[in-house]
Amino acid sequence: MPKRGRLGVPFSVIVGASLVLLALFVVSFLAGPVGRSIFGDLGLPSWLGVPRPDPRLPADTVFHLFGFPVTNSIIATWLTIIVLVGVSYAVAHRIRLIPGRLQSLLEFALGWLLNFCQEVAGEKNGRRFFPVVTTIFLFVIMNAWLSLLPGFGSILVTGAEGKAVHLLRGANTDINTPLALALISFVFVEYFGIRSLGLFHYLSKFVNVGQFSRGAGQLFRGKFRAGISGLFTGIIDIFVGFLETLSELVRIVSFTFRLFGNMTAGEILLLIAAFLVPWVLALPFYGLELLVGFVQALIFGGLTLVFFTIAVMSHKAETA
Amino acid sequence: MELEGIKLLAAGLCMGLGALGPGIGIGILAYGAMQALGRNPEARGPIMTNMILAIAFAEAIGIYALIVAILIAMVV
Repeated sequence: MPKRGRLGVPFSVIVGASLVLLALFVVSFLAGPVGRSIFGDLGLPSWLGVPRPDPRLPADTVFHLFGFPVTNSIIATWLTIIVLVGVSYAVAHRIRLIPGRLQSLLEFALGWLLNFCQEVAGEKNGRRFFPVVTTIFLFVIMNAWLSLLPGFGSILVTGAEGKAVHLLRGANTDINTPLALALISFVFVEYFGIRSLGLFHYLSKFVNVGQFSRGAGQLFRGKFRAGISGLFTGIIDIFVGFLETLSELVRIVSFTFRLFGNMTAGEILLLIAAFLVPWVLALPFYGLELLVGFVQALIFGGLTLVFFTIAVMSHKAETA
Repeated sequence: MELEGIKLLAAGLCMGLGALGPGIGIGILAYGAMQALGRNPEARGPIMTNMILAIAFAEAIGIYALIVAILIAMVV
């Protein structure tokens, strides 16, 4: 038996694998566009090359369903839903006191997320916000990770207009999916705020005319100095309330573009890396894409959680 | 100067200048986090969580610049 080295495989296997990798790198470099522009056409077979990437921002329609255009990113979303629901059903169907492997994995993920929610939002509120935050997190991370599998961006079918389109495309790279998630997050922030604080109290954060009307009332009753100062503070309060409203709405745009930008930039990076040195250069970028997918899901879910926490905090303590 | 040349110049400038602000911002954030961590290593959890959250805000601005650069170079 050959001596097992430090890495758990014999030393000769490591040397052999490195040589294969080096040969692959040299051949791809010579066959790809970089080598072709330095050395000219060496007569290497054309299947070693990759076509020039052509990123299209709007997603292409694949077929129509009752008059509704189904794009390739919608098909990828269906795939994510099938995977998530399938795994959850397979675990919940035969749940046991001593968990098997899949159940342990799911318990670890959900336990970690519940811990995260309760750390940021407190015990009771963390449990209340857990379903929405976890749904957003799992949806974004599965969209991002499944789009790295082979098949996304390489299977061609004839689309709705008769041209050749890709069958699958990462769902986060179509701007509609991040926009939908941002709108859902916005609606739930308002819902939790109104549910916890009551409609009037929650809206008083945005339309803050209390101090202004008190100042006007004092002015009419003859107390000029207190009235004028109240009026000025009231105007500042109204302006701050207007800025709060604006920042709530700009949050939708910011969420959308953060997720869309990261995912699209990652996809274009992978396509260009695969184009330049076909077989080898994309490998480190796959690792980067895994990390970026996880971080972006965490950011989306975590920021949603933070805005939930801020929305249910009462601000009555600030009025003098 | 024809349109193709101006497009490429614009894309390069957009991404280059747009990466200055977020880069410096993230550096300042990380500096504050390192200082806090050095003073109080026990508070590692909350410090790291808040640092990652704040870095996401700063990074988003750089991503906006990247989107505009991609739009200029490949779509317009």
